[in-house]
Amino acid sequence: MNAAEKQSGVGKYLVVYLCMLVIPALEVVVAYQHIGGSQMLLGMLSLAIIGALLGVLFFMQLATEKPRFVLFVAVFTLFVLATINYGWTDSFRLLVGAPFAK
Amino acid sequence: MSHADLAVGGHTPAMEPSPFAIPAKKLAMWLFIIADTMTFAACLVAYGFLRNATPDWPRPFHSSTVISVMVMTFILVSSSLTMFLGVRAARAGDRPAASRWTFITLGAGIIFVLLHIRDWGSMIGEGVTLLKNPWGTTLFGAAYFSVTGIELLHVIGGVTALIIVGLGYRSGRYSSDDIENCGLFWQFINVVWMFVLPLVYLLNIAG
Repeated sequence: MNAAEKQSGVGKYLVVYLCMLVIPALEVVVAYQHIGGSQMLLGMLSLAIIGALLGVLFFMQLATEKPRFVLFVAVFTLFVLATINYGWTDSFRLLVGAPFAK
Repeated sequence: MSHADLAVGGHTPAMEPSPFAIPAKKLAMWLFIIADTMTFAACLVAYGFLRNATPDWPRPFHSSTVISVMVMTFILVSSSLTMFLGVRAARAGDRPAASRWTFITLGAGIIFVLLHIRDWGSMIGEGVTLLKNPWGTTLFGAAYFSVTGIELLHVIGGVTALIIVGLGYRSGRYSSDDIENCGLFWQFINVVWMFVLPLVYLLNIAG
């Protein structure tokens, strides 16, 4: 533990903890809104990504790691997200025959 | 050739510096987490594909289930904080505090597992199995049990690791680095739950 870590209290992490509790509560609020499925999915995924980022940056302490290592993790995570994006596109293609099928 | 053979003139051989200037075990844990992210991504994408491509996808969850999963979420997020405090104490050399926070996290993990099994039990009680359910497409049960099952399996794995490493750390067998690596895995479980909760449960609330 470095000197800066020793000096910093747990206040910041309590705020992160409260945020990570509020985010699922907001997702429940979104779930009971009378909105379209895609809007609901977008809203919930956005909140989930914020919650996950808070967990990774603060509780997994990626924010305090060396920049090179953060870049390494970020590149691989983006690769995963790109894979997810490919999967979703393909699922829409099979559902509605677009954009590839004529 | 042994390690001693490599030493020349009483000096240990020059070692290659650790990649990214972090301990090798911690790097290995991060690599495992990245690989495991792919596993969960594949499961959630497969689930999303089925959910999206199936017109009669059931929405069986009522407010009682929502309350149950919110309690589970509260426990898991709280366990993230206690695990973080345990890692922090371990890095500061405060062995009793680190053990205490680790075992509190362990307790929270066990409660989460029990609640999850109870949730499964109520679903099975309603007639949901891997191959059938009373509401709509038969794929629902397979998708539900697969995604939540892999999450549950990870929590059980995390609980087992916390027992082994927590006891080992208290007896002096394991170091603070081991608590930190265990903590990384535990935090990862919480991060994954952030996606499982909305995609599996909240998007399928009965209208």
